[in-house]
Amino acid sequence: MEYEFIIDDRLHKISFDKKENVFVISDGEKTIEANIHFISSNALSILIEGQSHLVYLAREGDKKYLSLQGQAFTVQEPSAEGKSFVDKEERSQQDELLVRAPMPGKVIKINVSEKEEVRKNQTLAIVEAMKMENEIKSTIEGYVKKIFVSAGDLVGSENPIIELGTRD
Amino acid sequence: MFKKILIANRGEIAVRVIKACQEMGISTVAVYSEADRESLHVQLADEAFCIGPPPAVDSYLHMESIIQTAHQSGAEAIHPGYGFLAENAEFARFCEKENIVFVGPNSKALRLVGDKVRSRQTMEKAGVPIIPGMKTIPKELSEFNSEAGKIGYPVMIKASAGGGGKGMRIVHSPKDLKSALEAGMREAKSAFGDESVYLEKFIEEPRHVEFQVLADNHGHVVHLFERECSIQRRHQKIVEETPSQALNPKLRTLMGETAIKVMQVSGYNNAGTVEFLLDKDRNFYFLEVNARLQVEHPVTELTTGVDLVRQQIMIASGEKLPFQQEQMSQRGHSIECRIYAEDPLNNFLPSSGKVLFLKEPKGPGVRHDCGVYSGSNVPIYYDPILAKLIVWAEDRTAACQKMVTALDDYVILGIKTTIDFLKEVIAHPQFAAGKTTTSFIEKNFDGWQGKTKTEESLRLALVASAFDNFSQAYSSVNKGAVRKEVYSPWQALGRWRIGGEK
Repeated sequence: MEYEFIIDDRLHKISFDKKENVFVISDGEKTIEANIHFISSNALSILIEGQSHLVYLAREGDKKYLSLQGQAFTVQEPSAEGKSFVDKEERSQQDELLVRAPMPGKVIKINVSEKEEVRKNQTLAIVEAMKMENEIKSTIEGYVKKIFVSAGDLVGSENPIIELGTRD
Repeated sequence: MFKKILIANRGEIAVRVIKACQEMGISTVAVYSEADRESLHVQLADEAFCIGPPPAVDSYLHMESIIQTAHQSGAEAIHPGYGFLAENAEFARFCEKENIVFVGPNSKALRLVGDKVRSRQTMEKAGVPIIPGMKTIPKELSEFNSEAGKIGYPVMIKASAGGGGKGMRIVHSPKDLKSALEAGMREAKSAFGDESVYLEKFIEEPRHVEFQVLADNHGHVVHLFERECSIQRRHQKIVEETPSQALNPKLRTLMGETAIKVMQVSGYNNAGTVEFLLDKDRNFYFLEVNARLQVEHPVTELTTGVDLVRQQIMIASGEKLPFQQEQMSQRGHSIECRIYAEDPLNNFLPSSGKVLFLKEPKGPGVRHDCGVYSGSNVPIYYDPILAKLIVWAEDRTAACQKMVTALDDYVILGIKTTIDFLKEVIAHPQFAAGKTTTSFIEKNFDGWQGKTKTEESLRLALVASAFDNFSQAYSSVNKGAVRKEVYSPWQALGRWRIGGEK
């Protein structure tokens, strides 16, 4: 079986097959054999060449959360996000113009109005979550094209708040 | 002694108080908001009552609902924990009026120490050293301008009702003053329901050293030594320890005596903490009284052997302190790390969501005060503290090693936490050297990118992910579930089992 995963914005391919009692795994360069067991619903024991590794794993939607060797990984399946992953370069340009909520929270204040000119680092809006206010700043110099939310609204992570435009 | 206590809080501190009550044979009443129906404190208490919708102002800050619940359940006392109503003099007074014991200071002392401006005046009169700054709250915003000029930039904005870093802002130049004041006032208003702020001289690179005090209702006051809480982000503590590396026995005695004096001057009773700033030249200044149980109280408990929550309840029920100052001593070293639902890689932005998996660290000398469990939700409405990890060892070096090991043994999946960040903080050479000041994080961890992932760990992550998909596809066939989007030969085969029917 071939699997694809995205970790830290990089796509990784791995082939994974069962051969009798071991798993044969290849990343294209290196092939290894491993003995793997779920030892509880969130813990995996992996034996590779006599080395024992413990991996904690939980899943939610198309994401897996892993902890191993004191390091945390968020693993994304590309199936749902595949298209946007390919278009990532393009999206990042758009992203600069689309100001999104950094985390789920409540819009406390919109500091600008539509058509207003904005400087780089100017505070555009304030979103509060868990009793902390977070100022959302402009990453560019330009103007406010559209405001999607108003004070008091609850926003989810990555929800667009403001669209900026550049005067070329 | 009380038979039943209502705990007007949530999260790890509600759990801590419930456990103390259980050990003392006292029944517990939990209150919860609609967002907290499944929270740990609701599960652990003997009784639990919903007191309103998720926003704190409609639930955990809603005094009438809480008092009414106390009457309804027959609770004789209310323990407020920390935050929410813990330092609200109006609430303490409300309890007094309704004949419910408030497990905390009397409302008069609370009003005095809770008003940072008034308590500064009182302390100055009593000869306690204070930080230069405003001694009244101005009526007009414009007055701040001239005051700031008099004090001299940089100045610190502080909430008069404040604590926990809420409403605090450092201002370096006059042009930033207005917006910082507005933000500070808004934050103070939402955190404490009082928007009064004032200005103080900003002391550069200070240490934050505080003294734990217990005062009974009969005039006996003792201190239980210091805690150093210099490691902060956003003016909020994340690592605390005792004893402090900055104090020698002479300074410790002097500061302890000053702390007792502060409490006596304030007419204070129950547990409280006197906060000081210690500057580079070891001058100390009175900062404020935290009129409540502190988040970091466990480090004092582990080094003095005194259960502070138990003492709070005993004092509230009218008992005398069972010890004198001369009997108090500290043994070994204790460190606490606060585990917050925050992303250290992204400016410590809060990270709400579901705790998919939690593995608690264990071992000798390891204590974990925790408010979440595998499967619990972390709502956006409240403080992002999830848990506290506290260790005790014979000396500081051993305590640091124990903390790093315990953090390594600690897993929370599903939301971002400060665990990995704290590991790096404790392991930092400057921390090991005891060079802890309030600008430690800024100085040593600005633009922190996290630990670089090794090739090996990346490969293991991929192997584990592939195995997970592989076995899920297998088990979903067994359960007859259909996996969408991925074509799988296992599905095409329909129901089957290895080895065939036996």
